[in-house]
Amino acid sequence: MNVFLRELRAYRKSAIIWAGSLSGVIIVFMALYPAFTQDVEATKEILSQFPEAMRAALNLSLGNFFTIYGFYGYLLSFAILAGAIQAMNLGTGVLAKEVSGKTADFLLSKPVARSRVVSAKLAAVLTILIATNVAVSAVAYLSALSVAEEPLELATFFLLTSTLLLVQLIFLALGAMFAVLIPKVKSVVSVSLPTVFAFYIVGMIGEVLENENFRYVSPFKFYDTNYIITNVSLEGTYVILEAAIVVVAIGLCYWIYLKKDVRASA
Amino acid sequence: MNVIETTKLTKYYGKSRGIIDVDMTVEEGEIYGFIGPNGAGKSTTIRTLLGLIYPTSGSATVFGKDCIKHGPEIRQSVGYLPSEVFYYDDMRVMDLLKYSASFYDKDRKVIETRIKYLAEMFDLDLKKKIDDLSYGNKKKVGIIQGLAHEPKLIILDEPTGGLDPLIQQQFFNLLREENGKGATILFSSHILSEVQKLCDRVAIIKDGTIIRVEQIRTLLENSTKRFTLELAGVADPAPFAVNGVSDLAVAGSSVSFLFRGHMNDVTRILAGQDLVDLLVEEPDLEEIFMHYYHKEDGQ
Repeated sequence: MNVFLRELRAYRKSAIIWAGSLSGVIIVFMALYPAFTQDVEATKEILSQFPEAMRAALNLSLGNFFTIYGFYGYLLSFAILAGAIQAMNLGTGVLAKEVSGKTADFLLSKPVARSRVVSAKLAAVLTILIATNVAVSAVAYLSALSVAEEPLELATFFLLTSTLLLVQLIFLALGAMFAVLIPKVKSVVSVSLPTVFAFYIVGMIGEVLENENFRYVSPFKFYDTNYIITNVSLEGTYVILEAAIVVVAIGLCYWIYLKKDVRASA
Repeated sequence: MNVIETTKLTKYYGKSRGIIDVDMTVEEGEIYGFIGPNGAGKSTTIRTLLGLIYPTSGSATVFGKDCIKHGPEIRQSVGYLPSEVFYYDDMRVMDLLKYSASFYDKDRKVIETRIKYLAEMFDLDLKKKIDDLSYGNKKKVGIIQGLAHEPKLIILDEPTGGLDPLIQQQFFNLLREENGKGATILFSSHILSEVQKLCDRVAIIKDGTIIRVEQIRTLLENSTKRFTLELAGVADPAPFAVNGVSDLAVAGSSVSFLFRGHMNDVTRILAGQDLVDLLVEEPDLEEIFMHYYHKEDGQ
């Protein structure tokens, strides 16, 4: 429990900042919703004049964009991009900081098994992500409620919202894996930003090329807004794919962390 | 009972040598010195005992239990102070020490009382942030986190760097006190005089192998000193060519040599000389190895 609580405390401030900023972005975007829907035809015309490749890259689908779900799903895709960075920072940072801060000697010479250290740390960052998501979902729901013209379907809304946490989980797991694979992480951001943007760009290229196969490579494309709106469910294939990625990455993380030599910090 | 026992303990970091076939036994209640130049394998051995690194081959037990299988259980009764201390900069001293205490089964209140006692002894401000501490003060935090739970085995890896002589003295007294209460101590250092002050037995490690284990008494009897003389006239090497002298160098009026044996033998020789200046120094370990152990190995 002590390591878990220590990590919660250590990340408390950054968690509040992340939850606050994500909520802020959602509130600001949601406030724009009435402006977009005021004159749907005019907006549609402007948007349809965008080259198609550009609309694809921006992830704009005109069919759903003017419903509250479509609009929310669209703005959520940016929150997810930011959220992925948060998740990866947490996953990488929570494990790598003992090495970069040279405190691994202190921690691991205490009477605690390494597996418990990893579990406590991962549990702490998972708790932070869940707390962030609870806060963000509540804010998103309330702001959607205040701008929506039709009544909100809870299932659709929260299924859309859940994709934030789902994508974050993947990046948390990848971050944890990278933390043990990279011998010395000098700066967490230098690991998380390139990784997150690389996956994001891959997803964008997939959209432009209209190649469905790209979806398997970019977690950002696992959960399609339009599919969720139409079917009120997630695509099973990608849920399984996500589970596999998370299990493999976390498994590797434990395996390497348990076997790794903690070299003298000189 | 042997508190520490290693059998053919070997560690390679990839291809580079850490330690080779280290056999070491530390008995309960002794202060065991572990001495050798930097890079000889002292830290490697210690880190294996603590389960921080895993041996390539061989085995190590602490309190009769395997270091790898029973790591957490063993470490309940071990206190460790590394040569360089690093702690969480964002914490206050007391928070860190409490965090450290929270890992042990021992009664939290007892440990906290002891933390306060030790902090007073070393004059350490518990309210300060770790980040604001000087190196010497961080080292004090290290001592306290290592000793607050009154471990049965204290492992010190070159602990004196950064401590001023007064604090060092206090620290050694504390160690003797703990030893008096029954704690076993493994003390690694590359400074011979430090080990001589404290230890009962010494293992000498070089290039990853233990080349000798000696009672400290034997080591003191054979204590080696470097003599540097400045004579009034041109020096004659003849009187210095006696048993126990080595590495003799005579240049004009200056003479330099290493001496190992009874001090009286050398003062008798010196009495016959017209001295302008005399310097007697502790030779560094490298010198001792070069002129004694290295030769003996070769024989």
